[in-house]
Amino acid sequence: MIEVFTLAFLMLVSVASVVAAYLAIRERDMVKAIVYSAIQSAMYALIFYVLMAPDIVLVYIPVSVGITPAVLLFVTKKTERYDGD
Amino acid sequence: MRASEIFVLISIIVFIFSLAYITSLGGLGQLPPVNVRLLAQRYLALTWNPLKPFMSSSGYESVTAIVWDFRGLDTFFETAVFYGAIIAAIAIYRGVKISGKGRTTGMSPIARTITRLSIILIPTVAASIALHGHLTPGGGFQAGSVATVVVVLIIMVFGRKALIRKGVTKARILLFRSLGLLGIGFTAVAILLAGVALGLNAYIFQNQPKLFAPLGFPKLYDGMILGGSLLLFNLFEFIAVTAGFTLVLLLLSLGEEEVRGVVEK
Repeated sequence: MIEVFTLAFLMLVSVASVVAAYLAIRERDMVKAIVYSAIQSAMYALIFYVLMAPDIVLVYIPVSVGITPAVLLFVTKKTERYDGD
Repeated sequence: MRASEIFVLISIIVFIFSLAYITSLGGLGQLPPVNVRLLAQRYLALTWNPLKPFMSSSGYESVTAIVWDFRGLDTFFETAVFYGAIIAAIAIYRGVKISGKGRTTGMSPIARTITRLSIILIPTVAASIALHGHLTPGGGFQAGSVATVVVVLIIMVFGRKALIRKGVTKARILLFRSLGLLGIGFTAVAILLAGVALGLNAYIFQNQPKLFAPLGFPKLYDGMILGGSLLLFNLFEFIAVTAGFTLVLLLLSLGEEEVRGVVEK
């Protein structure tokens, strides 16, 4: 029974991560796109945690939610915030 | 919602579920077995095994034992690649002066106060992840990336110049990064050097004594598990990763005007 719940939870989180990825690609505002991408990464971190990989979670959360968005924000600052046609 | 968007949504959903179905049937390669594999069993059995002292590692944490002991050389080359990338970043920004002079525009007092608290809390967590890496999940790289979040916060909330004015200059970060790397290199060959000096057999990346190679790092101290070389590797990797990431963030946070003048010369 627990296994079914785990799998259902994993499926929900993975679908949510796909939605976040889709929104990140669609978004014209780069800052919002970076936030969506961070949400997607947070979902991946949850998946890693449920799959019993705490070592990966510990490195994935700071890198994907902290450092990568920061680096992308710095880069966005040097280019344009809004994606044109 | 337009018709094209609905079409995209439906095709994504169909794609995900068909891919999941194919994977579950083994269409994208052999499915991993449900039971623990033989190699994993070996690692789990030998990570902490006082009955087989010549084959076991020195901590409780299997992942750290694999990363820095059983497959230590792999991790060493991974670290080398990471620092190669950082050296490339420094090379691109060569000649750019990073000064802490001038006015800083930070965020609101609320953000500043919260960040001041985090500046103490986050490194504490990072240190516990690094120093407990041989006992609980975690390790040097994990701890280093957690500690870098503080640097991100400081640059975002107080500004880069505030960071430099506090003494976090490029030269000092480079010094810490080199210290960490030297520490990793020295820990890797320490037992070998001791073996050469004493005329005994020894290996590179040796942690615990092996058969016909009696030297090794201390495993226990006063009943406390030290982790041998795992603790040292975690500590030096923590220092090196924090310094490396900090350096890249510091360089990236430089303004376009400051860099362009030097690069276009």
